[in-house]
Amino acid sequence: MKKLWYRWTAVLLLGCLLAASVGCGGQKEAAGGDGKPVKIVFWYAVGGKVGDATKELVDEFNAQHPDIQVEAVFQGDYDTAVNKLKQAIPSKSTPNVMQVYDIGTRFMIDSKAVVPVQKWIDAEKFDVSKYEKNILAYYTVDDKLYSMPFNTSTPILYYNKTMFKEAGLDPENPPKTFDEVAADADKLTQRDASGKVTRPGMALAIYGWFFEQFLAEQNSFYADNGNGRDGMAQKAAFVSPQGERILDWWADMVKKGSTANMGRKTADTQKAFVAGQTAMTIDSTGVLGDVMDGVNGKFAVGTAYLPHPADAKDGGVIIGGASLWMLAGHSDAEEKASWEFIKFMTAAKQQAKWHIRTGYFPVTQEAYDDPSLKEYEAKYPQFKLAIEQLHNTPVNHSTQGALLGVFTQARQEIEGAIEQVLNGQADTHDALQKAADKIDSAIERYNQSVKK
Amino acid sequence: MQKKRVFPLGQGVLYLLPSLLLFGMFVFYPLLDSVKLSLSYVDLMGEAAGYAGWQYYREMLSSAQFWHSLGATLLFAVYTVFPGMFLSLVLACLANWKLRGIGIFRTLFAFPLSIAVAGASMIFMMLFNPSTGVLDYFLQLFPLPAVFWLSDPNWALFSIAIIAIWRSLGFNTIVLLSGLQSIPEPLYESAHVDGASPWRIFKDITLPMLSPTLFFVFIVSVINALQTFGEINILTQGGPVDATNVMVYAIYRDAFFNQNYSYASAESIVLFLLILGLTTLEFWAMERKVFYR
Repeated sequence: MKKLWYRWTAVLLLGCLLAASVGCGGQKEAAGGDGKPVKIVFWYAVGGKVGDATKELVDEFNAQHPDIQVEAVFQGDYDTAVNKLKQAIPSKSTPNVMQVYDIGTRFMIDSKAVVPVQKWIDAEKFDVSKYEKNILAYYTVDDKLYSMPFNTSTPILYYNKTMFKEAGLDPENPPKTFDEVAADADKLTQRDASGKVTRPGMALAIYGWFFEQFLAEQNSFYADNGNGRDGMAQKAAFVSPQGERILDWWADMVKKGSTANMGRKTADTQKAFVAGQTAMTIDSTGVLGDVMDGVNGKFAVGTAYLPHPADAKDGGVIIGGASLWMLAGHSDAEEKASWEFIKFMTAAKQQAKWHIRTGYFPVTQEAYDDPSLKEYEAKYPQFKLAIEQLHNTPVNHSTQGALLGVFTQARQEIEGAIEQVLNGQADTHDALQKAADKIDSAIERYNQSVKK
Repeated sequence: MQKKRVFPLGQGVLYLLPSLLLFGMFVFYPLLDSVKLSLSYVDLMGEAAGYAGWQYYREMLSSAQFWHSLGATLLFAVYTVFPGMFLSLVLACLANWKLRGIGIFRTLFAFPLSIAVAGASMIFMMLFNPSTGVLDYFLQLFPLPAVFWLSDPNWALFSIAIIAIWRSLGFNTIVLLSGLQSIPEPLYESAHVDGASPWRIFKDITLPMLSPTLFFVFIVSVINALQTFGEINILTQGGPVDATNVMVYAIYRDAFFNQNYSYASAESIVLFLLILGLTTLEFWAMERKVFYR
């Protein structure tokens, strides 16, 4: 036993030495001016085929810009990347450009470690009029565009047209309101002789993002102070008739058996939909490509607007996804290079390619003029609807989305509340109130730590 | 003589230096820093900013969430330690038979050891899948009702325990097997000569001779169970309805998502004391019952 122990220590020591020497090798060289290309570091947080598409765009940029060298580093998922940034800020080793998810916006601003892209838009009089206004609105805080939108998606209703026909429903007339969804889900549900559900009409993942979207559909706030857009949010605002209505509707369908509760993972509901085990689901536009590939012609896939209560007015969807942030504390040459890189990544040609490869929206309308995108739209007409939904959404504080420093936790608390209600462990009001209390104290702590 | 007595101490320290340095850097320093953080307010980046006293400990002890996590952790230990030890003891006894090709079975039994927690979780994620999982398919053949393994709060912790048991089987089996093989053959031979039944041999020779190994496996299993994280992080994220929100996961969540570093540090100190206390208790209660040759 003892000998083994020494050997392990030796191995460990060796490992540490190795790690240390590798660490030295990766040191940054001083930025150019003497003919050498300016080196900038880009952190991104998307994997799989989206990550591949990102890398490809970076390679394209490097090939077209001999004077700039972008080093793209994958940092794990969005949460992990932000956690790494938290370590990097005090040790002054931040990247030049970083992809941060939508709900990290408040934290990024409060970190005081960023340069708003507005600075460069103003300096270059860069024209952003062709960028989607709904998307820009999300990342605009105090009239400044803080970060450049990059990958953007919204939720839509996916439905199985073939099953609609079988159930005697009009496949070209998908449900629009909460009541219509509930009624159609009922008709689409199949039961065996004993009344046990063999195929639920809908499968809906317990995902906090959906709750936020359903609130915005009703033009209702998630947090106070105008959804945190008029000033730092102090309290959660979703304990409202609008908030409760969402959970009541959801829980009622689950209780009846017409909607399946498959847990928190949208991947599971997506799988059920693709496998023909349910007729409807709600998911991000970002997975449309995967759904179409998975279904592969076995049935006709329909897409529809995100449902809303019948009397909801002036609402719409909030964009989700991520944007590109510029970090402060780097030389002017590097900042300029970062801006060039950001412009490139969000320009029409790249966004058209990005849209086709990943399913995220193009952030600029100019991308729709691209011939390859026109071809893609003809192949997947389902997508048009998602873009229409975005364009039909009025820009106001509720559809801009809430700004909250503790959004990750808030989402988790909401998901816990939904679970409790769906499992019949709490009534709607109590569950939401409990989540709100927790979020309130988290906000209070966050706001205090920002002051420190 | 006098000189020699001093020298071994210096030599000993010298030998220990590398591991002391590593421990200092990766264990003791973070531990002390956690104690400090648990008593401080923090800024947005998680750096200590002012003395907070026992505030976070008080907050924790009065939080229902904390007690729930503690309960889930202990329950998880009960779910995993005893079935895990029992199964690996059975496997080790089987693998101890001197048969042709037993090496293949020994390798197979040790197999889970070679699979990382992420890989194991992905495998079980597919098995547990509510719509395409194999486990539910078999259940329905019988016909038993399908189980929502990971999304039913009554099942989730149990489902995670299945993975943990499966993962620990390899290590436990190998350790127990080595224990079995170090039992001197003459003991068995004389028992056979005396005409002892297999059960009697197992109870009066194998178990007592194996008790140091069993004790070791028990301690390691308890510590592992209290520190389970990977499966939960990948499969349930503490849900549904906090059913799998064990202490380590709660600490992770509080620190890196809820940005409540002080509170998370306080929790981790409590977990540390809990493991320390339990291990001491186990040593105190069991060591004298263990039979060392």
